Amino acid sequence: MRKFLSVVQWALASVCVLTLVTLPISLETQLVAGMCVLVAMMVLKLVRPDGIWRLVALAFGTAIVMRYVYWRTTSTLPPVNQLENFIPGLMVYLAEMYSVLMLALSLFVVALPLPSRPSRANSGDRMPSVDVFIPTYNEDPDLLANTMAAAKGMDYPADKFNVWLLDDGGTVQKRNSDKIGDANNAERRRAQLQKLSAEMGVNYLTRDRNEHAKAGNLNNGLSKSTGELIAVFDADHAPARDFLKETVGYFDEDPKLFLVQTPHFFLNPDPVERNLRTFEKMPSENEMFYGIIQRGLDKWNAAFFCGSAAVLRRTALAETGGFSGVSITEDCETAVELHARGWHSVYVDKPLIAGLQPATFASFIGQRSRWAQGMMQILRFRFPPLKRGLSIPQRLCYTSSTLFWLFPFPRTIFLIAPLFYLFFDLQIFTASGGEFMAYTLAYMIVNLMMQNYLYGAFRWPWVSELYEYVQTVHLLPAVISVILNPRKPTFKVTAKDESIARSRLSEIGKPFFAIFGVLLAGVAMTVYKVYTEPYKADVTLVVGGWNLLNLIIAGCALGVVSERGERAATRRVKVSRRCDFQVAGKWLQGTIENVSANGARVLVFGAELEDLVIDAKTGIRFKLFSDGTEAVLPVSIRNFERTTDSIAIGCLYLPTEAVHHRLVADLIFANSKQWEQFQLSRRGNPGLLRGTFWFLRLAIFQTYRGLVYFWRDLRGRDNIEPIGQLAEKRQ
Amino acid sequence: MRAVFVSVALLLLAVSPAVSQTSPFDMSPEKPAVPAPVQPTGVAPAQNDSAPIAAAAPQPAASLARRYIVPFTELVLSGEYSQRSWSLFLTPEQAAAKAELHLGYQNAVVIAPEASRLKISINGSELVDAPIASSENASDISVNIPANLLHAGMNDIAISALQRHRTDCTIESTYELWTQIDTAKTFLSFDGPDAGRWKRVDDLRAIGVDENGATTFNLIVPSMGQTISTSPAVRLGEALALMASMPNQSFDVSETGSSAAKPGMATIVLGPASELSNVLATVPPAAETGPVATLIDDPRLGPSILVVSGPTWQAVDMAIDDIAKQVDRPAGSLRTSLSTRTWRMPDVPLLSSASRLKFSELGMNTLEFSGRRVRTDFAVGVPSDFYANAYGEATILLDAAYSQDVLPGSHIDVYVNDNIAATVPITTSGGEILRHLPIKVTMRHFRPGDNVIALEAVLMTRADAICAPGATAQGGQRFVIFDSSELAVPDFARVARTPDLAGISGTGFPYNRSEYTLPLIMDRTQPESVSAGVTLLARMSVAAGRLIAVDSLTAATAVADRNALFISAISQVPPTVLAQVGVSNGASSTWGETVASIHPNTEATFDRWRERLRDSGWRGQIGSLQDWLTRTFNISMNSFRIFPGPAAEFTPQGSASLVVAQEASPVGSGTWTLVTAPTVGALRDGVRSLTEQGTWRQMEGHITTVDASDDKVATVPVTRFNFVETQPFSIWNYRLIVANWLSANALSYAVVLTLLSILLGFATAGLLGALGRRR
Repeated sequence: MRKFLSVVQWALASVCVLTLVTLPISLETQLVAGMCVLVAMMVLKLVRPDGIWRLVALAFGTAIVMRYVYWRTTSTLPPVNQLENFIPGLMVYLAEMYSVLMLALSLFVVALPLPSRPSRANSGDRMPSVDVFIPTYNEDPDLLANTMAAAKGMDYPADKFNVWLLDDGGTVQKRNSDKIGDANNAERRRAQLQKLSAEMGVNYLTRDRNEHAKAGNLNNGLSKSTGELIAVFDADHAPARDFLKETVGYFDEDPKLFLVQTPHFFLNPDPVERNLRTFEKMPSENEMFYGIIQRGLDKWNAAFFCGSAAVLRRTALAETGGFSGVSITEDCETAVELHARGWHSVYVDKPLIAGLQPATFASFIGQRSRWAQGMMQILRFRFPPLKRGLSIPQRLCYTSSTLFWLFPFPRTIFLIAPLFYLFFDLQIFTASGGEFMAYTLAYMIVNLMMQNYLYGAFRWPWVSELYEYVQTVHLLPAVISVILNPRKPTFKVTAKDESIARSRLSEIGKPFFAIFGVLLAGVAMTVYKVYTEPYKADVTLVVGGWNLLNLIIAGCALGVVSERGERAATRRVKVSRRCDFQVAGKWLQGTIENVSANGARVLVFGAELEDLVIDAKTGIRFKLFSDGTEAVLPVSIRNFERTTDSIAIGCLYLPTEAVHHRLVADLIFANSKQWEQFQLSRRGNPGLLRGTFWFLRLAIFQTYRGLVYFWRDLRGRDNIEPIGQLAEKRQ
Repeated sequence: MRAVFVSVALLLLAVSPAVSQTSPFDMSPEKPAVPAPVQPTGVAPAQNDSAPIAAAAPQPAASLARRYIVPFTELVLSGEYSQRSWSLFLTPEQAAAKAELHLGYQNAVVIAPEASRLKISINGSELVDAPIASSENASDISVNIPANLLHAGMNDIAISALQRHRTDCTIESTYELWTQIDTAKTFLSFDGPDAGRWKRVDDLRAIGVDENGATTFNLIVPSMGQTISTSPAVRLGEALALMASMPNQSFDVSETGSSAAKPGMATIVLGPASELSNVLATVPPAAETGPVATLIDDPRLGPSILVVSGPTWQAVDMAIDDIAKQVDRPAGSLRTSLSTRTWRMPDVPLLSSASRLKFSELGMNTLEFSGRRVRTDFAVGVPSDFYANAYGEATILLDAAYSQDVLPGSHIDVYVNDNIAATVPITTSGGEILRHLPIKVTMRHFRPGDNVIALEAVLMTRADAICAPGATAQGGQRFVIFDSSELAVPDFARVARTPDLAGISGTGFPYNRSEYTLPLIMDRTQPESVSAGVTLLARMSVAAGRLIAVDSLTAATAVADRNALFISAISQVPPTVLAQVGVSNGASSTWGETVASIHPNTEATFDRWRERLRDSGWRGQIGSLQDWLTRTFNISMNSFRIFPGPAAEFTPQGSASLVVAQEASPVGSGTWTLVTAPTVGALRDGVRSLTEQGTWRQMEGHITTVDASDDKVATVPVTRFNFVETQPFSIWNYRLIVANWLSANALSYAVVLTLLSILLGFATAGLLGALGRRR
């Protein structure tokens, strides 16, 4: 009843607002109303940006957006009899309407994200039996060793969980490959992993044929195991000790629960963050998804499976015959199916795994192409808006998640639309300068402010635009191809352990320079037109401004595709842990300052510089989180320097036995609190103005850097390295 | 430079090769001889600059066969191309008579005669096609009109001027081009035995105009002092006014009167037969027995006197009804056009809802043009309950083309009632055909009644920039507007307001539709005040397109809550009425005595100083920002007003000789309009000024004052008003009404939007609390 009443109330309020915003009011009224709403939103932002007032501010923004839509629809489309204007005009219009639709869907999804759930680690839940699956295809055994060690190290009764290494790189099909080299590699890999698994107490499993890719691999694991729950970790996703304790309890609370998903936390930056050097200070791209959107989806019981870092219920999976494999994003697809059958999902907003993400721009694009194509396949084959069994909110949520991947189309249109006017004089938007100010400008500012309201601390201004742009260039063909041939794409495993030793241009970075050149010509054209055709300077300036915005983003993207060389293969995580460090045979007290998957930095007290030798083999002794015992991890010294009261030593792990991987895993992955702290340290809302200035500065520098890389690239590859280092030093 | 007259060959239905535009184009007048590049903005057409009631010299009897044809006080054809057309009613005798067209004009000295032509056509047949070459002194042209060209009833007259500058090719120079038609020397003369006489009542339609474009009815009511005579006099006046439908009509009501027969004037005698003997030498015998309306020649009053009489007042009323029913329009009938034919062809369509009209239907034909600046116009009417000034937008779907000579930077401007309403820049070179190009035209300047929408193309070419000798006259066609262009008016909000004098001006609202006879309170004893009353109601009837029944017997105190019209010298106006319509009570004692403004007007002086200091320094920049805001968004402090303050009491000042004030009746359901002046004489003259076409259409707002000496009109805008429903309830109409009100009160919209958004925010919070997971 209360539900019904609030729906009626809301519908009434909406009808009132809708009636008001669709009145054909005059331009002056629009201008006054727009300014009032902007001021109101700013004041609310400063005074009460949360709770009910956040919703009020969003309602303000919605009103202005709806006014814009009304005006755009009723009075800005070029006349149909001018086809040369009408067709591009309609395309821009549709692109804008898509953006508004996505804004509406995201408003729904993240209207009120669920607050983080309290920790369950000490709640004394029942401990059902769990099978931990680590699917792998071609990952490096060292990487797998860390993951397996971390999985084995989870704080859970040993008899209650089994870890399975599901190897798709050592299948019978692979081993009998016609290419003898591949076959030998597969054979060798299988032997190596079998040995490693045995050492670590992990079950090694492979199968005959590589059917249905990852979904088939997981299903093979399902058929060979019996645990009540299934935990899935990607090969490079190492769980924290408390992973199972934090997740399994939910399954007893809700018998219809099929999924507990946790966020993916990455130890290394993605290529954008790495090349722009924002990893340490700006929230990662995926934090918006895991920090806000999944929580929003959770509100509507629509949090979906992201392929890893999740626990699933075997009985639920059995209902659909395991993981679905029609699309190449089996995770989301499985979740749609199970949600449609009335199963529930829960999202735990606490990083409980740490993993790697693609390091090069090319593999980043490869990963995104897979997601985009997979989501398009889900849209095509499962069509969430009309899928029977889903609740209405779930339909909206899945629609939002899948339609999002159509963004390459509007991005492309927004990119080329101003050029239509600048180069071909097409009038694709009939409005006067005054109307543009009163409607479009207000809409754009309100739009940015709403983004800031929704995602402020997780996504800085213009960063979404940058990410969408850098993906669009290569995603557009991928999305078009999947729309034309929905069954064609195949699952390609994303490489994540590459490293870039030398600074260079990304191999798929050339188109960005071409686009940048065209946009730059557009700017030149703007200037030319303003001087030679002063009678339409107002329109030219507006369109030119739009083009300039595109140019700024495109310029920043030049920096993205200019890959920086890096010393450390993986990102370091800050820890603060007591240890003993062996120097010249003596154990000295020290603190482990930060660790990465390959090495650590230790502050050693009481050591002498003379005692230290580069590449000397030595060891770190520390107490394990898992069982409180002390152990020694062999390392070699890579570098050292004197600090005020100690010597900081950089060292590289030298794991020789399985137990050493446990030690490394314990160092990096044991304590999930440190990841949270790292994430929190980056979160902060710079606000619209400051964020815009920051982005502008970043874009100018990155344009410069990109052009320098481009120039060196033209002069020949041999010269790249020193230049890369030059670029390093400058920052 | 000597002017050369080219006499025009008499060509029956000739098709002269020089004829390029024979279709009626009505060009908005502009002031002649303005050398400076004046942008024609908010200045209303000044066609009534001189007082029309000039001393009428006694005319020789033969002049009765003369019909002045210009229905304006002044006719100036300005710019490179200008055209006017209207209709002239001729009696059968006039149509049959041998006729001659006389044309007198003078033109600006800068006009190049060899490239400029003045043309007159009647009923589509070109009678005059002469070079414009009369800059030194006025020239007269006379042409015999071919037999059978004129016919009884309406005859269409079109006059056009194609003018080119002698030396200058600039846009500015086109404003220096003018040809003034001498209204006193422009007439038709008839050589026929009965051409100067009227035989039928219907012949009064041929009353025409005098040499100043005015039409005067001499209404002789011998028993004017009797109360019973007032209503019939008003009713007859309304019927005659509707019959003639001339733009500047006035009535002189007197008890005895003497006839000065001349063109543009009619004498009417009204009253029961028994009372007519005082004025008429011979009373028509039929008047003793029954209702009669007939034309007689009277030795005392002259020829063609209309006698409306009967044995009793009842019979007189029946006689009036016989005339009235020919011109009255039933109350329920839908009005589709405003009758403007006698001064603007064709009749103006009246739009009452969404409509699309082709230019050809609006009387605008395809126009090709080879000069620099061309202006052409058409008119559409909107009803008095039109309420879309603040938000409304009409659309012109323009079919036009320009040649490759036309340079970017040229533009096409749209003016509504001489206010700029839209500009379409020409941005491509190389010529273009525009097909149904939508031009949004703000309806801000639309007023009830007829509205003139003018299209002006300003064309720039390389040739004009160079301006070689003789270039002004040369050049092929540069621009064309096709008559397939359309005007699309969307549905607009319809609700009337009180007060709103524009309603009276447009369609006589609200008095045009009342279900009861309109209480008319005026001083019946003074002929001047009765003249004023009849003139005003006649004008209102023409605006309304039907007779307005009046009740002259109601006392001011008995009006109660009905509509009412008060016409009196200010000393006779009851103080309660003054207070109700918002005119200061003290005005009755001071107005008229304090001639001109003794006290300097502080506000005006301040404005003048601010204007003078506007452009200096950085403050000037702020000033120009304000200007830009005002220009672009029409934002003024009024937009930020939520509740209008009470209107200040109005005290007539300066040289205002007539005040028209309107306000709702005390309880609010009726509308009271007061027309007052310091004296009855000023009242008569003021109403005569007011009812002239040019002045009448400027009446608007809460109060309008007229300065009879120079026809200057000032208005006090409406600050507070009541809505008066005129349409059956419909959500759609209410939505548009709300849209217009909120558009006029911008801050109110913002406040409502804010409140509703807060409401939506709270409702959303409630919804989110009830739906989905909460934990």
